[in-house]
Amino acid sequence: MYDIGMTVFNGLAWAMATFLVAAGLTLIFGILHILNFAHGGFFMIGAYVSYSIMLGFGGGLPLWLYLVRAMAAGVVVGLLGWVVDKLVFRRLRDVEDAYSLIATYALLLICGGAVTLIWGLNYMGVMPPPALNSVIFLGDMFMPTYTIFIIFCGVAAFVGLELFISKTRTGRLIRVVAADPWMAQLLGLNVKRIYLVTVIVSFAMAGAAGGLLMPNQSLSPELGGIFLLQAFGVVILGGMGSIRGAFVAAIVLGLIESFGTYFFPQYPGIFFLLALGVILLLRPEGIMGKEQTA
Amino acid sequence: MIDYRARFRSNLAIAACGLAAFAVVPFVANSGLMFLAGLVAINIVFGMSWNLLFSGAGLLSFGHAMFFGGGAYAMALVSLHWPGLPFLLGLAIGAGAGALIALVFGVIALRRASGVYFAVLTLVFSELIHLVITKTTFLGRNDGLVGIPRPTIETGLFTLDLTSATAYYYFIVVAMACAAFALWCFQNSPAGRLIQAIRQDNLRTAFLGTSIFGWQLTAFVLSGALAAFCGAVMVPFTQIASPEIAYWTVSTQPILFTLLGGAGNFWGPAVGAILFGAIDYGTRAMHGLSEITVGTLLLLVVLLIPGGLLGFLQHRRQKKRRKPTEPAPKRTEAQP
Repeated sequence: MYDIGMTVFNGLAWAMATFLVAAGLTLIFGILHILNFAHGGFFMIGAYVSYSIMLGFGGGLPLWLYLVRAMAAGVVVGLLGWVVDKLVFRRLRDVEDAYSLIATYALLLICGGAVTLIWGLNYMGVMPPPALNSVIFLGDMFMPTYTIFIIFCGVAAFVGLELFISKTRTGRLIRVVAADPWMAQLLGLNVKRIYLVTVIVSFAMAGAAGGLLMPNQSLSPELGGIFLLQAFGVVILGGMGSIRGAFVAAIVLGLIESFGTYFFPQYPGIFFLLALGVILLLRPEGIMGKEQTA
Repeated sequence: MIDYRARFRSNLAIAACGLAAFAVVPFVANSGLMFLAGLVAINIVFGMSWNLLFSGAGLLSFGHAMFFGGGAYAMALVSLHWPGLPFLLGLAIGAGAGALIALVFGVIALRRASGVYFAVLTLVFSELIHLVITKTTFLGRNDGLVGIPRPTIETGLFTLDLTSATAYYYFIVVAMACAAFALWCFQNSPAGRLIQAIRQDNLRTAFLGTSIFGWQLTAFVLSGALAAFCGAVMVPFTQIASPEIAYWTVSTQPILFTLLGGAGNFWGPAVGAILFGAIDYGTRAMHGLSEITVGTLLLLVVLLIPGGLLGFLQHRRQKKRRKPTEPAPKRTEAQP
């Protein structure tokens, strides 16, 4: 019983951390139909920006400042998203899929290079804020409060994004454009601006995720690639830009990964890839099928 | 009408110039630069093997590291565990390992996925192989397999001693030239043209009674074998097979080479690999600068000149040849 509880808990932690990164990725994938390699890079920039803000304040932040800091990283990266849309994504509309995939890879390279130039190659460790640096005992299960906090953040991000997409005017417009950009243009919608909003929201989410997840990781220029493959898997498995699909896919893959690692502890990371490969081969359009968008 | 003989002659001339340039490197440069030149020579054919898929069969692979790494590890295992085996047979085993991986993966994936999904599947499988390598004691885990000897080749008539770095460098240049020549012959054979036809219009080609799956699989296996051959040739040069050569960043290398140089041209990957080597060497003092330079260049190429450097030059030359009164061709480099 103890083991099952802990394994589920670990699986959910993996799932929600991955979903935090994948949420923005799935948004751009669904609306602009670009699989954004650079997302991992901007996630990493968010983590580093947040690290620099932390150095400015000195360690030991209260929880609310920690959240503000993550939001600040989100704003900075969201602004970068504005620049990237103007300079790059706007020009990728009429480019073949293969080339746009490669263009975003080029962006990832630039992100990695910029981080190396600015912050250096050294690993930097970060502790969770004091308010989240304890452990809760539930029976004989021990749960770090920071991990509980991340699970909470993942669920909050999912609910927030769902509400944004289905209840707000901007969100509905985004769905319209995702369904049929040509028709949306005929109806007089400013499609370009909606694309821009999508990119900014997606990038801001990447930046904020970087700020939130930073204490989980040691910072290094390789950080961009570490979460990227997991997030890719979740987005692809979730189906074309389906947020609900990505959420379900994250939980499914997280549980498979944590149970796999429980039974075969010498192979961490392998079960996620195996499961992803097998599911993709059985259902190439993802769990939710092709129709769902945003 | 295309004058095939003239084209063959001009390609031969380019190849001869390239070979001559690689041949003089050990005389004019220090051992560090010679080492780099050897890796560039391998990268050229590695890039070409990827381009066989991309421009040839129209398949985007983000997992070529699995072939490169597979060939490298096969070669390393063979030379560590069967030292008596002839070296060339070891290379063949390395290439065969790549072909086998490509066959197994291709049979499963080519039927099921296409486009971006296919690209992600190649990425996933290649990462799986990388992970297995880092967890398997037999393959040296994270440390890799070290101390791989450079060979001597017994031909019966004479013995080729390749144990020095310079001698092995020349072997690399010759081996890569042979591989490139074989690839050129294949791409200009009826089979190679058929594969290109599939990329341009797979529906029409299918109507002609061609098995799309069969030919795409053929291209995939050939590309995998060639990439693995490159990996196998590299291992005795660096004398180590480490898990990094199966990491996904290696998969992106041939993409960089090909697109920088020009995907539509046979020599595109060669130009790209040489350029990439030069950038890497020129910016080695400052960490991060080479990624920024390469990334920016790649971005510019994709956004402004999708034909790559060679496509750009060719386009310029064609424009010059035209009379100035004639309207310019439709696609120009004057786009924003």
